[in-house]
Amino acid sequence: MTSSLLLGLTTFAYLLCTVLYLSGTIFQYKPLLGAGTISGVAALSMQTAGIGLRWVESYRLGYGHAPLSNMYESLVFASWAIMIIYLVFEWRVGQRALGVFPALFSFLAMAYASFSKDVDSKILPLVPALKSNWLIAHVMTCFLGYAAFAVSFGLSLLYLLRIRFPQNPNPRSGFVALLPSASQLEWFSYQMVLFGFLWLSVGIITGSIWANSAWGTYWSWDPKETWSLITWFIYAALLHARNLQGWKGPRVAWLSMIGFGCVLFTYFGVNFLLSGLHSYAR
Amino acid sequence: MSQEKSALGAVLGWLSSLKLTLVLFFALAAASLIGTLLPQEISLPELREHFSPAMASLINFLAFNDLYHSTWFRILLLLLCTNLVACTIERFPKTIRLLRRFETPFDSQKLSKFGLSSSIVAALPFERTQSVVESAVCETFGRMCRIESEPTGEIGPFCAVSETGRWSRLMVYMVHLSVLVVLVGAFAGSYLGFKGSMNLIEGETSDKVMLTEGESVTELPFALRCDKFEVSFYDTGAPKEFKSDLAVIQNGREVLKRSIIVNDPLTYEGITFYQASYGTYLKQAEIELTDPDSGKKIAMTLPFRQPVTIPGTNDQLMIAEYQEDLMRAGQAIELVYGKQGRQSSAKWILIDRPYHGNRIENYLVRVTKTDKAKFTGLQVKKDPGIWLVWAGFTLMTLAIGLTFYSSHRKLWVCIEPDKKRNKTVVTLAGRTSRNAQAFEEQFEALRSSLENRLKNPSDPL
Repeated sequence: MTSSLLLGLTTFAYLLCTVLYLSGTIFQYKPLLGAGTISGVAALSMQTAGIGLRWVESYRLGYGHAPLSNMYESLVFASWAIMIIYLVFEWRVGQRALGVFPALFSFLAMAYASFSKDVDSKILPLVPALKSNWLIAHVMTCFLGYAAFAVSFGLSLLYLLRIRFPQNPNPRSGFVALLPSASQLEWFSYQMVLFGFLWLSVGIITGSIWANSAWGTYWSWDPKETWSLITWFIYAALLHARNLQGWKGPRVAWLSMIGFGCVLFTYFGVNFLLSGLHSYAR
Repeated sequence: MSQEKSALGAVLGWLSSLKLTLVLFFALAAASLIGTLLPQEISLPELREHFSPAMASLINFLAFNDLYHSTWFRILLLLLCTNLVACTIERFPKTIRLLRRFETPFDSQKLSKFGLSSSIVAALPFERTQSVVESAVCETFGRMCRIESEPTGEIGPFCAVSETGRWSRLMVYMVHLSVLVVLVGAFAGSYLGFKGSMNLIEGETSDKVMLTEGESVTELPFALRCDKFEVSFYDTGAPKEFKSDLAVIQNGREVLKRSIIVNDPLTYEGITFYQASYGTYLKQAEIELTDPDSGKKIAMTLPFRQPVTIPGTNDQLMIAEYQEDLMRAGQAIELVYGKQGRQSSAKWILIDRPYHGNRIENYLVRVTKTDKAKFTGLQVKKDPGIWLVWAGFTLMTLAIGLTFYSSHRKLWVCIEPDKKRNKTVVTLAGRTSRNAQAFEEQFEALRSSLENRLKNPSDPL
C-alpha cells in the first residue's frame, strides 16, 4: 500500500463521483445523488489516507516534511480541500444537486497531478527557503481559499443557468429541475465567497510573514504575490458590490467567475505563462 | 456660498461612496496586472533593448517599468485610504446610534409586523409564562441575556428586549482600520528604514550595506563578522541548508554571536540579517594576454576590482565582475580596459571554455588561475514599521473572521394576558445584522421550545 496507489485510486473515485452527481441531476434521480455523496466521502477518505501516507513516506526517505511543498502536493491538497468544503456545505444546506462542479474540479486537479508530464510526483527534500511552519500555514490557508472560490464558481455558474428558467422548476427542464432557487444559489455562492475571502486573506498574510523570515521582505510585488492580491481585490470588490444598487445577481455571479479565473492564473498562469517574460529582467 | 457648499458636498459624497470603492478595487487590480506583464524595475536603456524606442519611451513615461512605486499607483492607494476614512466617518455615527440602548416603545402589534415574528398562546397564567419565557430566552442567547422591562403598573403587558453581539457591528470598522494600519506600517518601513545586501567572505568583518535602491552604501553603527559559512546538500544535489556563524562587533567588543540559517535571521538594534544566498568570490585571477600580431605573451595578476597597468603600456586592465555561471557557459570574468584612466571597452571572458570571443582590444585573453573564496549573501533590513504591519495583519485576521461570523441579534418579547379566554399571549420578534439563515433556525428553535413549555400546565420550571 503506497500513497501513490491510494491517490491514483482517488482520481478515479472522483471521476465516478462526478458521473454520479451529473447523472443524478440530469435524470432527476435522487438516489444517484445520494450515491454521489457516498462516493465523494469515500474518495475523500481514501485521499486523506493517501496524503497521510505520503507524509509518513517522506520521513522514511529521511527528509520528512508535510506534503505541501510542490505542484503535485498542492494539487492533491487543492482537490482534497474542494471536496471537503463542498461536502460540509452539502451537509449543512441539504442540497445534493450542487455536487457536479466540485467533484469535477477535484477530479481534474487529481488527474492533472497524476497524469501530466509537467508535474513531478516524487517526494523531494525541502530546500532551505521552504523549511518554515509559516509556509505550511500559508499553503493550507491559500488552498482552502482557492477551493472555496472553486465551489463558489460552480454555484455562480449554476445560478446563471438557473435564472434562465422560470421560478418553479419545470419537470422538463432537465439539469435545472433539482437545483435550489436562484436566490438560494446566490446566497450560497455569497457565503462561499465570504469563506474563501477569509482564507485567502490569511493566506496572503501568512505568505508575507514567511517571505519576511526567508528573504527579509514581506511584499516584493513578485508576480505570484501580485496576482494573489489581484484576486483579493476582485473578491473584495464583489463583497462590497453586493450592497450596491443593481449589482446583486448576475453581475456578482460573473464577478465571482472572473475572480476564479484570477485564482487559476495565480496558481497556474504565473508559473507557466509569466516566468518567461521576466527572465531577461534580472 | 451654497454653490460652494454643494460642490464640496458633492466631492465628499463621491469620496465616501461605495461606487468609488469599486472603481478603485478594479483600477488597482488592473494596474497590478499590467505590472506583472511588463518587466519591472528596468531602466530606459534596458527597455530599449526589448521594445521599439517609441514603445520604450511610452512605458517609461507612464512609469509602467516601475509601476508599483510610481506616483500614480501611490495616488490610487491614497485614494483608497481616503475613501475608507470617508466611508467610516459617514457611517460610524449611525452604527453608534444603533448600539446605544435606545428602545422605542413597542407592543405586540408592532412586533407582529416584523419580518421574523411569531405568536404563541400560552395555557399558563401570566407570571408563570413570564418566567418560562425569561429562562428560555436566556438559554438561547446564552449568558449575554439582558432583559429590560418597561415599568408597568399592574399585571399589564410585559415587554422586553434581549440582544447579543452588539460589538459585532464594529467589526467591519476594525477590518478597514487594519487595512490602514498595514498601509501606514508599510509606508513607515519604506521611508524610515532601508533594505540592502551584505556579502561577507569567511573571516571578513564589515559595517557597510549595499542598498537595493539607488545602489548606494550605508554604514551601520556596528560591524558584522562572518566566522564560518557552511552549505550542505541532500543526496539529490539540492541544497539542504545554508548556515552562517556570525558575530556582532560594537565599539571593538563582540556583543553577540549567533548562527543563522534561512528562515531564522539575526536581529540587532533594529537591523535584521537574513541568510539569503551564498556564492563564490573571486579574490584574484591570473591571466595571459597574447598580442596576435607580435605573438608576445604578457602574464598579469589581477586582484578583483583593482586596476592594474599592463606592463609596457599606459593602459590598464581590471576585473569588474565575476560570475560562477554566465548564461550556462561556466565561469566568467568581465574585464574592463582603461586608456588613460577612462574605460574604453569591457568584455566578458569565459574561464572554463576556449572561446573565440576571449579577447579585449587587440589582445587574446586566457585565464590561467583563479583564487576563490566562499561568501555568505545576507539580506539586511531595517524596518521600523514592521510591528505596525504585524499588528495590522493580526487585527485583519480577527476582524475579517468576526465580521463574517458574528452578528448582532435582537429578540423582542411581549407578554399579554388574554382575560377573555384566560390565557396569555406571547409575541416574539427577532432581527439580526447578518447570517439570517442561522438566526432563523435559532428563532424557530426558541419558538417551538416555548410552544412546548407553555402549553403544558404541569410543566416543572
